[in-house]
Amino acid sequence: MTKVAVIGIGQSLRGDDVAGLEAVRQWREKFPETANRPEVQIEASELPGLALIDALKDVDAAILVDAVQSSAKSGTVHRLSEEDLASFTSDSKSAHGWGVAETLQMRSQLTDEKINIRIIGIETAQVELGARLSQVVEDAMPIICEAIEEEIHALLK
Amino acid sequence: MKNIEVPALARVEGEGGLYIGLENGKAVEIRLDIYEPPRFFEGFLKDRFLQEVPDITARICGICPVAYQMSAAYALENALGVKISPQARALRRLMYCGEYIESHALHIYMLQAPDLLGKESALELAAEAPEVVKTALRLKKIGNELLKAIGGRSVHPVNVCVGGFYSWPEAKALKALLPDLEWGLNAALDTVKLALTLPYPDLEIDYEFVALHHPDEYGVIEGEIWSSNGRKLSIAEYENGYIEEHVKHSNALHSHTVDGSTYLVGPLARLNLNHEQLMPNAKKALADSGIQLPLKNPYKSLIARGIELVHFYEEAIKLINEYKPTGPAHVELKLKAGEGSGATEAPRGLLYHRYKIDGNGMVQFAKITPPTAQNLPRIEADLFALTPKLISMSEAEATLTAEHLVRSYDPCISCATHFLKLKVEEK
Repeated sequence: MTKVAVIGIGQSLRGDDVAGLEAVRQWREKFPETANRPEVQIEASELPGLALIDALKDVDAAILVDAVQSSAKSGTVHRLSEEDLASFTSDSKSAHGWGVAETLQMRSQLTDEKINIRIIGIETAQVELGARLSQVVEDAMPIICEAIEEEIHALLK
Repeated sequence: MKNIEVPALARVEGEGGLYIGLENGKAVEIRLDIYEPPRFFEGFLKDRFLQEVPDITARICGICPVAYQMSAAYALENALGVKISPQARALRRLMYCGEYIESHALHIYMLQAPDLLGKESALELAAEAPEVVKTALRLKKIGNELLKAIGGRSVHPVNVCVGGFYSWPEAKALKALLPDLEWGLNAALDTVKLALTLPYPDLEIDYEFVALHHPDEYGVIEGEIWSSNGRKLSIAEYENGYIEEHVKHSNALHSHTVDGSTYLVGPLARLNLNHEQLMPNAKKALADSGIQLPLKNPYKSLIARGIELVHFYEEAIKLINEYKPTGPAHVELKLKAGEGSGATEAPRGLLYHRYKIDGNGMVQFAKITPPTAQNLPRIEADLFALTPKLISMSEAEATLTAEHLVRSYDPCISCATHFLKLKVEEK
């Protein structure tokens, strides 16, 4: 049985940074049959940092849903592999706030266990402190939920 | 040699840069520029109910949320004249142990050790010494697990309230952590041994050390604010001794003593002022190290963090073994208008809060002085002291040495950029 982790990442008081958490919450409501399967493990994670390495233990595959910032239009849904993520390397320059890309790089230095990691990135419009999810990212939620559902079925095959 | 400029500091929390202006081989201007935007937390707190304050202030920092919760809770308890139960106090110390463990393990291995070992980052360290990094991650994780057992989650935990805790954590969940904590205690002792072998740059500074001191325990919560210059103040008197002010180049406030001098808070200050209150294994690790106190080399704050890591692992084991919650987890609050201050030792140093509340428990005024704001003028003064050495180095080496000095403070720039009024001035 392939065990898959679905991990929503983001902060709930920082505008679109919450997109990953919110998308996983909505997917869970929309697709309860998939979400309740015993081989599916769901996690909502604010600022996981290096703890993401532990969250990826004991699973064969993982879908990480997170907000991203690139030159794409706000609300764009990116579907990336671990290798693709290198181009999204965080510019936070902070080891206190390890980003997903750096943490996955760190993981690959520390373990030979290969797992299939898929990343669903949501292009943000704003990440203001105290702000709500922007309308453009809210409007993208159904597409993100479909993307999670598709990715998970591909991994569970 | 040209001026030294680091537009964006790596491996510090938040956004800041460093500028050292040189003229005829001497430093004429040193600025730790803070770009991180002000976060207006003190403004958010106005007109919020006092019980919301610990959870809102926890959001100031993802690394030391417990420190913000604790200083806030004590300040508001003082405003109401409330004293928490001895069991709740012990649980607060235990929770703080979790925060020290995760924060110190991160700083020692991921932020500062790469500098001392000549590595560009923890990623490079992981490639060459994966076992060291695995130990570091496990040391850190145990701290996070302890926070999760008490506060429901490790980032921005939620159980602390004004008056104590919302609920007692299960003894079984805490006791289940004991084997990991025992492993961590030994790994922390090995961390001190490793720390003693690292090559620290020579730099001795005559600091004024300032830390919370408690006669019966290693100062973390409650007690008096001691200075190595002999100044002893109650927590309520903090602002009689230490003043915060705005400086042009920084979005963070800078603190100094009432006499106008800089001072140092954090692990070196705590160890130098409070070493007699260390737990037995930590005290022995300090004695075996051969270190003569006061420790005055800022780079060697890594050793102080190592000794504290031993202390907090050891104290966590003791507190879990003694954990027997009885009675209500929190005191029932009787609301009244008042004012109170609270100070606790965050991993980076003294963290002071003061609040005024009205008769309905609504916050009318909030003041938060984080450790990094207190240390920023000191970091700039250290860079002045370091400049004669930097002159003889290559530009790349000088830049790295200066950056390393800043990182040895573990500055939390996001925490320090908190002031209420933003004033933009044009030259």
